Amino acid sequence: MKRDKNKSIDNEGLAEPVDSAPTSSDLHEAGPSETTPNPHLPEETVHLIVFKLGAEDYAIRIEQVKEVTVTPNVTRMPRTPDFVKGVANIRGDIIAIMDLEERFGIRPVIDANSSLLTYTLVIEAKDYSIGVVVREVPQSLNLSVSKIDKTPAFLQDINIHENYIEGIAKVDNRLIIVLDMFKILTHDEISELTE
Amino acid sequence: MKSREQEYKEIFIAEALEYYDALNRHISDLEKRPQDDQVLAEIFRLLHNLKANAKAIGYLHISDLSHKLETAFSLIRNKELSFSDEVVAVLFDGIDLLGDLITNIDNDSYGEPDPVLLRNLDIIVDNLSGSTIELAKVQRYNTSKNLSLSDLIYIQIKKLDHMLNLVGELMIDRDRVLSISRELDNDELKSVSSHLYRITEELQYSVMDARLVSIGSLFNKFPRIIRDIATAEGKTINLSLIGQEIQIDRNILQIITDSLLHLVRNAITHGIERPEEREKKGKSREGHVSLVARNDRDNVVIKLSDDGKGIDFKQVRKAAVEQKLVASDVAAGLSNSDLLGFLFEPGFSLAKEVTEFSGRGVGLDVVKNAIDSIGGRINIDSEKGKGTSFTMQLPTSIAVKGALLFEVADIFYAIPLIHTESVVAMETDELHEVGDVLLADVKGETITVVYLNELLNAPEETMRLGDKTKLSGLIQNIIIVSYNNRKLGLIVDKMYRQQDIVVKPLSKPLDTIDLYGGVTLLGTGKVCLVLDVPAITRYFIHRR
Repeated sequence: MKRDKNKSIDNEGLAEPVDSAPTSSDLHEAGPSETTPNPHLPEETVHLIVFKLGAEDYAIRIEQVKEVTVTPNVTRMPRTPDFVKGVANIRGDIIAIMDLEERFGIRPVIDANSSLLTYTLVIEAKDYSIGVVVREVPQSLNLSVSKIDKTPAFLQDINIHENYIEGIAKVDNRLIIVLDMFKILTHDEISELTE
Repeated sequence: MKSREQEYKEIFIAEALEYYDALNRHISDLEKRPQDDQVLAEIFRLLHNLKANAKAIGYLHISDLSHKLETAFSLIRNKELSFSDEVVAVLFDGIDLLGDLITNIDNDSYGEPDPVLLRNLDIIVDNLSGSTIELAKVQRYNTSKNLSLSDLIYIQIKKLDHMLNLVGELMIDRDRVLSISRELDNDELKSVSSHLYRITEELQYSVMDARLVSIGSLFNKFPRIIRDIATAEGKTINLSLIGQEIQIDRNILQIITDSLLHLVRNAITHGIERPEEREKKGKSREGHVSLVARNDRDNVVIKLSDDGKGIDFKQVRKAAVEQKLVASDVAAGLSNSDLLGFLFEPGFSLAKEVTEFSGRGVGLDVVKNAIDSIGGRINIDSEKGKGTSFTMQLPTSIAVKGALLFEVADIFYAIPLIHTESVVAMETDELHEVGDVLLADVKGETITVVYLNELLNAPEETMRLGDKTKLSGLIQNIIIVSYNNRKLGLIVDKMYRQQDIVVKPLSKPLDTIDLYGGVTLLGTGKVCLVLDVPAITRYFIHRR
């Protein structure tokens, strides 16, 4: 079943609602610190879904996210790489559920107060979908493109393949790592599984 | 449901009418351009096919008339008969008569075809370029004809594939609705959902039925192929075909086509000996190859047998050791049926020379992969000096499979019935720790048994497949599966039932994991993993 191009965000059970994403991105601004350099020329903005992996903020462009849902019942698949949590039935489609913390070796932050509820971002690649589990409620954020630093110098020092990182955004003293999910899916996961 | 004969007849009539329409079109073209060789060739082809089809099904009037027309057109093609007005009139009459015969196949009161017309046809054929042809007047046929459209349509297999997929989805939802209606215990809902159940089932069978073709459509290509290979090899082969009328899903037949061709080539080049050699052994000069199809429960079994030299087990043992598939001390103790399993290993070959038709490094592993991919099975049987036979067990339909449902470590699994031999319950005491595996005596046969939970879930470094203490409970449920001439018992935690399941292939990026043939959704909405028996057997052997 093909869902239409408008992304649906499942609000059910979310502690704070996430914006249901409008395709026009001119209305929404992330925070007070964002300023537009030239008010007469509306700047190009990018709409991100922000989520936590370990203690850090990560983000994906909303175009790459098909939907956000409370993580459904996941059936474990024995003898698959650890970052494959299993398969789940999301609206009749059976898709693979991935754990990016496991994938990138990010130490999970176990907070005694946090609920057991996790969320799944359904990412739509060219001819298939994949689910990515995140611990906290994902948030939506509009940002001007200029806020994303595409080539920070430290990229070579970290353990996530630099190709997967589209850039680093700084908003309100927060540092957000913007991932390119398509590159993660096309390159790496598949070759890992065929080994 | 209609009988097969009735169905064949309808197909024949529909095709024949199509030919008739095409003939009418082409002969009108030919009248305008009598020199057009292409049109002539096409008319020739149509008449020839019509003749063959009619003869095969027993409509001799039609095949005779087609034959006469074919002869006339062959004379025209060879320029021995001119396409003159008189000849044209007779040919038009002849084609009209052909149409008449086809539409009146079921009409018993139609009687014999018009003798005057038939004689006219004979006259133009016999009186080559004769100047004074006496043609009798015949009644015009064309005047009182009705226009009608064919009862059959051609449909792209792609569309049927799509329909079958949709039916599969529908069945999954149906099971879900049924299970919810039981939970809710509402009578009206229960009656609606049981009606839904019946309708979906009927729909499923209708779609599956629409995709069936007779195995003859593949078998009938072999006489010619075998003749060509045999000629090239300097051998004579007598081929017998049995069971052409057996029905099978068109895509399954398509997938095994290359495999069957490969096996047939092997049988002729490597199996059947040269005539002189056969005589020396006291066999007939002519080699015998048979292709037999039959139904077996829900499956179709195709068996290819030859009466050639059979497989040399000593040679297989030697080659397996040389190609490092097995240690030489282990090889010495292997049974013949274990040895036959090596034939399916990638790259394994006994061929010493490459001929035009076989021995080019494409091994039996390709054949087995094709058959595995549709969830079928293949077995070899061979006796030295007597011959070899390959038995392929194929599902009739791709989408729906009978499967056994069970549970291991709280996960639901299914194994397609085509790979299961039997199910036994056994006391833990009856299992024996031998070396690093468990053995059980099942009906007099010693079978290796493995605890699936250990095989699937224990960390690979600490996996202990020969440790009975890993088992829980006093009674063990064991599914005996069979693959590649070898049996393996799988101990499961909970055994459920037998059920028809719709296997959904795993989507990317999981599709590269070969341990699972796919997934299915149970009525409860739970995901059930479909274990791939070939892969699980390979994994087990690899672990040990």
